[in-house]
Amino acid sequence: MYCVKCGVKLQDGTETCPLCQTPVWNPDQIVRERSYPDSLPERHRESGRTLALGMTILAAVEIIVVMIVCFRLYGELRWGGYAIGGIGLFYIIAFLPQWFHEPKGEIFVPVDHAAVALYVLYICAATGGRWFLSFALPVVIGSCLISTSMICLLKYVRGGRLFIFGGFLIVLGGFTVLVEFFEHLTFGTPMFLWSLYSLSGFAAAGIFLLLCGIIPSMRHELERRFFF
Amino acid sequence: MQKNWYRLDTAALIFPATIRRDWCNVFRLSAGLTEPVDPAVLQQATDDLRKRFPSYFVTLRRGMFWYYLEESRSPVLVREDYAYPLTFMSGAELKRNCLRVLYYRNRIAVEFFHSLTDGRGGSIFLANLVARYLELKHGIVIPRTELIRDPAEPPRAEELEDSFLKNAAEVQADRTEEVSYRLHGTPEKKGFRTLTTGIVETGALLAAAHRYHVSVTAFLAAVMAESIISMQNEECPRRRQRPVKITIPVDLRRLYGSSTLRNFSLVLNIGVDPRYGDYSLEELCSTIYHQLRAYATPQHMAGMIAANVQPQQLIVLRLAPVLLKNIVMNAVYRRTGESFGCLNISNITNVDLPEEMRPYIERMEFIIGPQRSYPNNCSVLSYGGRTYINMIRNIRESELERRFFSRLVDLGIAVEIESNRR
Repeated sequence: MYCVKCGVKLQDGTETCPLCQTPVWNPDQIVRERSYPDSLPERHRESGRTLALGMTILAAVEIIVVMIVCFRLYGELRWGGYAIGGIGLFYIIAFLPQWFHEPKGEIFVPVDHAAVALYVLYICAATGGRWFLSFALPVVIGSCLISTSMICLLKYVRGGRLFIFGGFLIVLGGFTVLVEFFEHLTFGTPMFLWSLYSLSGFAAAGIFLLLCGIIPSMRHELERRFFF
Repeated sequence: MQKNWYRLDTAALIFPATIRRDWCNVFRLSAGLTEPVDPAVLQQATDDLRKRFPSYFVTLRRGMFWYYLEESRSPVLVREDYAYPLTFMSGAELKRNCLRVLYYRNRIAVEFFHSLTDGRGGSIFLANLVARYLELKHGIVIPRTELIRDPAEPPRAEELEDSFLKNAAEVQADRTEEVSYRLHGTPEKKGFRTLTTGIVETGALLAAAHRYHVSVTAFLAAVMAESIISMQNEECPRRRQRPVKITIPVDLRRLYGSSTLRNFSLVLNIGVDPRYGDYSLEELCSTIYHQLRAYATPQHMAGMIAANVQPQQLIVLRLAPVLLKNIVMNAVYRRTGESFGCLNISNITNVDLPEEMRPYIERMEFIIGPQRSYPNNCSVLSYGGRTYINMIRNIRESELERRFFSRLVDLGIAVEIESNRR
């Protein structure tokens, strides 16, 4: 049995040529004995649980040490609260996902942002500030929405990476303007002092990526020059 | 009881450093028997070779400064093949064993993590495994030769040596080359590897190669280069093209008379720059053959060995922690390891088994996995008058295979195609 297009001889029972995908016409169809079974290997992921356990113990020890030092020296927590919050925040961002076999970004990124918001709320309350609701919270929420939607797009939309990254950079540029706006509202700083620079930088990079997505020759040239 | 351990040989050092979450450098050798494989006998045969080939029954361990291989306590358990060859060997698996013994219907296959050995060493191990299997299964007596070794005798010291260290020149060969054209395509889902095997009569292949006055390796490399050039021509104008080079491993045992069973091969990147003009197949054959002849000499290869050995002897590098070395080695691998060639053609030529084994063995194959940064690879082995050209890919497109095998057909070589494509 031969492929009419490639001219190569094919195994009995082959339905399409493996090289050119041309359907094979065979009047004496025989069931082909496959050269490999159908079973696929289990997808293995290296577990980070040992690391997570080690870091949990380390974080717990650090927190205990900080508390002992603070209470022995001052009889109260004082700066220890910031240190403990920082350790907790670092642990949640870096090591909490290690406990899970397949940590999902769309879950852990909002969790990380919630942890950041709580830590910032503590700092605001501890320093007697009035900037949490009008500045920190909107900034954290904006950052959370942008990064989570970026992760979801990358995960669930096939292809179009350049458009996703390009759009992300432009939105990020716009977000810096929003940050400055909240800064202006809360602290009374002048508007458009720095955010327009970052907006133009992010927007230029984003537009460049969008152009790369639109123009195939430009994309191929970049792929060839910058592959790694 | 104290476990034996081995330093990685010079070529093997790079492979642990370049392991990724879904890729590591593995290759496979397989033998197709005339009858279905008996897994229990295969397990026994595998266990019997443990003492004769101790450097293959090892695990990969990380020391403070270097990776090393340590005698494995867990047995190599034979198991059935998966839907595709060379499935990912995870870090956890490498900590148990760096070797797999697989079977499916009539086939016995062995997959090696490349730090253990190269294709030649692997072919010796497979031949011994199959010989032991046949001895146990059929009670035949296979004479001991340079290929088939006595499983009862201890390994010879020269089989375990790092032959690179003995054969390095005083001066390093220049490693600068131009980055070559990148093959590319749509990645397969779940790491699937599509294997396309082209089976040709060795006599017909030799005759075709001799028509162009070149060796089989040079001829296949020329046909492959021609196929890649035609793909690049359709992709971009000439002035924007890149050199088309084929990475060809050279077995250094023949050049230096070594009998090591560990890695002792180095690669040459041989090819042409299509920006300078069109090449006929005859011109490609000629230039590739003569480049191979010019570079695969003991003197030039000694310079290349020195380029690998000397940096590893620098005290600063030796004292660097292994994690830091990984970063450096990765950078070197990216810059010099894979970027100079479009794909490998690894030819371990003819495997000549003893007369007593031949009635039981129908075919033998050699398969190398796709590289980290390019999706196609090609490996060649001849046995029993037939040559098995295995092309593997981790992308969906079969364009390179189609062009390559169709060209062989155009040149009057009958090609029979098999594939594991779903």
